[in-house]
Amino acid sequence: MSTPSDNAFDVQLRSEIDRSLRHPVMFFFTSGAAWLAVAILLGIISSAKVHAPGFLDSCPWMTYGRVSAAHQTALVYGWGCQAAFGMIIWLMSRLSRQTCRNVGTILMAGHVWNFALSLGVIGILAGGGTGMPWMEMPSFAWIPLLLAYVAITIWSMVQFKVRPEGHTYISQWYLMAALIWFPWFFGSAHLLVHGFSGSPLGAAGVNAWFHSAMLLLFFAPVGIGMAYYLVPKVMGRPVYNYALSLIGFWSLAIIVPWAGMQKLTGAPVPNFLPYLGAFAAILFAVPAAVAGINLLKTAAADMETVNHSPTLRFTVWGLVFLLAFGFASLVLNSPGITQVTQFTIAGYGFDILGVYGFFSFIAFGAIYFIVPRITRREWLSRRLIKWHFFVSIYAVMAIVVVTLFGALMQGIAQEGTYDGLWYNAASTVFPYAVLTTIAWCFLLISNFFFFIHLTLMWLRLGRRSSHPTLLVHHEPESPHGPEGDIDNTGTASAH
Amino acid sequence: MSFRLFAIGLTASFGLAWLSVVVVPFFKLRTPSPISFQEGFDEQEGIYHPKRAGRVANGAAVYAENGCYQCHTQVIRPTYAGMDLARPDVGGLSPAVNPDGIDSRRESNVFDYSGLDFAMIGTTRTGPDLMNLVPRLKARVRQQAKDDGEEISEGVVAGRVRDYLFQHLYNPRSFARLENWSSCPSMPFLFEEREIKGQPSDDALDVTVEAGHEVVPGDRAEALVSYLLSLEHDDPVPATMDYAPAAPADDSQG
Repeated sequence: MSTPSDNAFDVQLRSEIDRSLRHPVMFFFTSGAAWLAVAILLGIISSAKVHAPGFLDSCPWMTYGRVSAAHQTALVYGWGCQAAFGMIIWLMSRLSRQTCRNVGTILMAGHVWNFALSLGVIGILAGGGTGMPWMEMPSFAWIPLLLAYVAITIWSMVQFKVRPEGHTYISQWYLMAALIWFPWFFGSAHLLVHGFSGSPLGAAGVNAWFHSAMLLLFFAPVGIGMAYYLVPKVMGRPVYNYALSLIGFWSLAIIVPWAGMQKLTGAPVPNFLPYLGAFAAILFAVPAAVAGINLLKTAAADMETVNHSPTLRFTVWGLVFLLAFGFASLVLNSPGITQVTQFTIAGYGFDILGVYGFFSFIAFGAIYFIVPRITRREWLSRRLIKWHFFVSIYAVMAIVVVTLFGALMQGIAQEGTYDGLWYNAASTVFPYAVLTTIAWCFLLISNFFFFIHLTLMWLRLGRRSSHPTLLVHHEPESPHGPEGDIDNTGTASAH
Repeated sequence: MSFRLFAIGLTASFGLAWLSVVVVPFFKLRTPSPISFQEGFDEQEGIYHPKRAGRVANGAAVYAENGCYQCHTQVIRPTYAGMDLARPDVGGLSPAVNPDGIDSRRESNVFDYSGLDFAMIGTTRTGPDLMNLVPRLKARVRQQAKDDGEEISEGVVAGRVRDYLFQHLYNPRSFARLENWSSCPSMPFLFEEREIKGQPSDDALDVTVEAGHEVVPGDRAEALVSYLLSLEHDDPVPATMDYAPAAPADDSQG
């Protein structure tokens, strides 16, 4: 094992890395949480309009199609991407053992990202949307977003390149892959649809592929990569099976780039596109299950630790959602089911399961882990964390179950009524829309707890204590390492 | 595994998929080759020219901006992918709703989207599919006239369809048929309310407003309705691309 002087050096290095990253990481987490609040508000409005079309009726900015697009844009690019940036730059620095030397550039690029995104969302609400799902921001927005992305993440690639010789962690593989894939698919998809006109079906295909890539080639690797760090770290145990993690990574890299075009099933595009897309989307269950099971097996060794640590509670549930996400991808894209659910709210339910269920839960887990380390303050209140956890988990499960089950009912009504009465199919969806609205309202409450807590932490109003905030009344031995050390000097094996 | 090997593996696995499902199909779909009717199979000869009408491009932009695609699809799926063709008035008109005509139902083809930059296939059918909106509305207007014992020309039918679309955009729930359940947003902001100067406008909507005022479609409403009026994709296509042709109504062609 390591000698005491090695350990002291490690502690110092880690705290230097954390200190160097305090402002950029906190900037991405807090502005992400603020965007999440915006996204949830817009989600409530758009969902309410499905069952109460008279709500905010006369205002053009609040018409359903625009609000719904703005809701998804804010959720994906405001919250999802920014939470991912915070996780990527922190984790890559830690694992590559490099302090961040480009704080100014990253912060400036972060402001550019937020500024371009704000203009984009305002553009959608003002009536400048492009009409392409998840690419709805007016065409001026994508170039500044891409440049900001490069300026934020290029340093993580540099850090990886100059890291000290030695072991490469599986988390680094996932992060590097996401870092390479994102600019590639984001840039090329936008360039094709905005730069080359006259291919309507080709553009629709590129858009469908982009949507899938955003979920499965960006959120999935960042979320899985983060979980591969958090679970073993907080548990103080090695990953259950290292070989499985390699299989999980390469199956993701090889299978998932082909997915996406299954959204065009039945449209007049070459038949191999939707078939390949569906095949790849079904096979996405493999990397999802491999990563999910591997990490849940690691966590299952000590359920008490999982229960006491806010980080692990969120992360483990994120992994359960990952399994559900993979399974939903398998089921929804299977022959026979696609034709029923293709044009129903299942698409929305699947997106929410991926972005809010799987990815956001791991992001919350990561935030509860990272923030005390970079602010050198502990979380103020275990009650706020508990409320955030319980309200989120029930509300997200409600949205997912309601939309997927509602989609099945809606699809059966669409496919089954030949009498020409669209009423039968259209009205099926109303009760599920009511439940979805209620669930979004609960998510707004849970995010309120989270946002307040996070802001207080950034203002350095956290507890000046070296005891981690655990979700128990009497504090047992810390799962974050030896008692009193939030820097996590050692793992369970070291003491 | 070295970083070099990792980077090569990643680039190859992603790049292959990217080229073969994204880039090449995108450019291939830009120029679909023309398809001819064939003697013996089709009732007509020559090259298939899809029907086109209206201010398609800027009307489609209004459709996109207001998020109509969030609830309406524009695709008729072949029978293997869905039951769209089983409905009487979605993929065209069946004899059930158009007793005097032929069965015009067919699946969508690549030419149905020509002239657009983006095919708004859509994601959800909270509202009905719009690929054959116009034939459906025309059949309904004709049926209504027949029920009222009224003889109307095709010109009058087209005019009534246009009026219906404006009224629907202004407030979908102003129709008794949709009043209680349609969740389609009303879009009064596409219209302008103005003082009547001289004769009331022919385009004025049948809605109650302040005395001496009228509601007329704005530019964007005009563009959108013009686009919606182009949603008529039930013309006969060459049998070579009608993969699930409807059974012939009678044997007289044989």
